[in-house]
Amino acid sequence: MLTIIYGDEPQSIYNTNVYFKNTYDPEWFETELARKMVEDIDHSNILSSECISSPVLGQIPPERLSGGVKTLLLILNEPDKIFNASACGDNCAKWLLEIGKIKDITINLRHMMDFGKNTAFEIKVKNGGELVHSMRELLPIASKYLNEMKPE
Amino acid sequence: MKGSHRIIVESRKVKYDFIIKRNITILTGDSGSGKTVLIDLIHDYRRYGADSGVQLSCDRACRTIDSEDWERELKEISDSIIFIDEGNRFLKSKKFAELVQGSDNYFVIATREKLPTLPYSINEIYGFRESGKFHNTRQTYNELYHLYGEISAETTIVPQMIITEDSNSGYQFFSELAKAQKITCISADGKSNIIQKLEENRDIKGTKLIIADGAAFGSEMRELNVYLNNIENAALYAPESFEWLLLSCNIIPNINVQNILQKPEDYIESKDFVSWERFFTALLIDKTKTSSVWSYTKKKLSKAYLSSKVINSVKKFMKLIKWV
Repeated sequence: MLTIIYGDEPQSIYNTNVYFKNTYDPEWFETELARKMVEDIDHSNILSSECISSPVLGQIPPERLSGGVKTLLLILNEPDKIFNASACGDNCAKWLLEIGKIKDITINLRHMMDFGKNTAFEIKVKNGGELVHSMRELLPIASKYLNEMKPE
Repeated sequence: MKGSHRIIVESRKVKYDFIIKRNITILTGDSGSGKTVLIDLIHDYRRYGADSGVQLSCDRACRTIDSEDWERELKEISDSIIFIDEGNRFLKSKKFAELVQGSDNYFVIATREKLPTLPYSINEIYGFRESGKFHNTRQTYNELYHLYGEISAETTIVPQMIITEDSNSGYQFFSELAKAQKITCISADGKSNIIQKLEENRDIKGTKLIIADGAAFGSEMRELNVYLNNIENAALYAPESFEWLLLSCNIIPNINVQNILQKPEDYIESKDFVSWERFFTALLIDKTKTSSVWSYTKKKLSKAYLSSKVINSVKKFMKLIKWV
C-alpha cells in the first residue's frame, strides 16, 4: 500500500540523487519493473546493470538517469526507508501507485502530485491517518498538510 | 539586474535556448525533461570554461550554487544569473528568501516544492520540452514553455461567485463589481487559503472565479492548478496584480504607463522590487499621489475606482469572462 507523509518529515531522505549515487545496487536494473520505468520516464533502455542507453545523452551510467527514476528505484528497492518523492514529476505518479500495489511503501511529498483525475487508488495519508480513493478526496487533505509546512 | 536575458547552452548532444526576464524563474514539470542536464552543463562551463566542451552564450555571467557554502557565495555574487537544482534544502529557508530579496542577481530554480517565502510569478514557471533535433539529428533541442496562463479556463466562463486572494483594495473592488452583478464575492484572506475557501463553498452552484495577483502567486499555482483540473466549476484569473489591471485598463486620467506595461522587465530593478506586484503597487501609488480623486492606497480604495466606468473597463479587459 502507498502511504504518503505530506510536508516536513525529519526521517525522509531529501536529496535522493546523492543517496542513489552512493547506494544503488546494479541488481536493481535486472527487474522488469525497473526496465519499464526507465523506458517510460526517461525513454531510455537498460543495456546492462551499469549502462543505460539514453536517446539524448547516449550511453550513460545509472547516476545520470532522471531524478524521478532514481527516486522510484530507491522507493522500490529500499521500502523500509522514506524518500522525498517531490523529486518525481507527475509522470512518476502511476509508478508510485504500481509499487504501492506490490509493496508497503511510505513516501514524503512536499508538493501536490497529481495521481490522475479519473484514477482510482487507495492511499493512506499518514499525517492524519486518512484513507483516500481519488484525487477529489485527496486534494483538500493534502493541501491542508502542505500549508502547514514551515520555512527552515 | 533588470531586462530580459537570452541564454544559449549547448553540448554536442543537447541544446537549450531561452530567455529569462524576472528575478525568479522556476523550472519544473515531468521527470526526465532535462532540468538537471541544463544545470550540469552550466556547472561544467563555469568550472572548466571552454575546456568543458560546453558552449554558453549570455550577456550576464551564469553560474550554479549547490554547496554548503551557499550563503557566502550568494553574498559575493553580483549581476549574475544563478541556477539552483532541486535537492538543496536551503531553498526553503528564510535566509535564502532574505538574500533573494534585495539581490541584483536573477535566480533560476529547478524545483517542484512550493516556496511560499519567495514571491514568484505564475508567468515564470516553465517546463522543458524537446522541440526538435539539429546537426543531422544528433543534437536534441529543448525549449521552455509556460505551464500556466493568466486565466485557467479555455472557454468563456460566467462566474456565479468571486473569491479574491486579497482582502484589501482588490477585494473592495471586486465586491462592488459582484454587487452590480448580483453575485457573491468573498475574500480568502491570503493566497494559501483559496482551496479551503473553495471547499467551504463546494455546494454553491455555478462557476467560482478566483482572482489572485499572478506576479506573486507562483508558490500556490501548482496546488491550485491540480485542484482546478480535478473539479468542474472553478477558474483562476491571475493578472500580474490588481494595480497592473487598473493601469492596463488605461482608465485613470493623466497617467500613461503603456511603455512600462509593454516591457516591465526593462523598468523593474530586482534589487528594488522582489516582485512585479510590488512594483506595480508602487507605480500606481506614485502616479496618483497628487490627485485628490484617484490617490491610491492598498488599504482603502477611493470612490473613483468603484465607479461604473472603471468597473466596466475592468470587466471588458478580463478576457474569457462573461458578465451577464
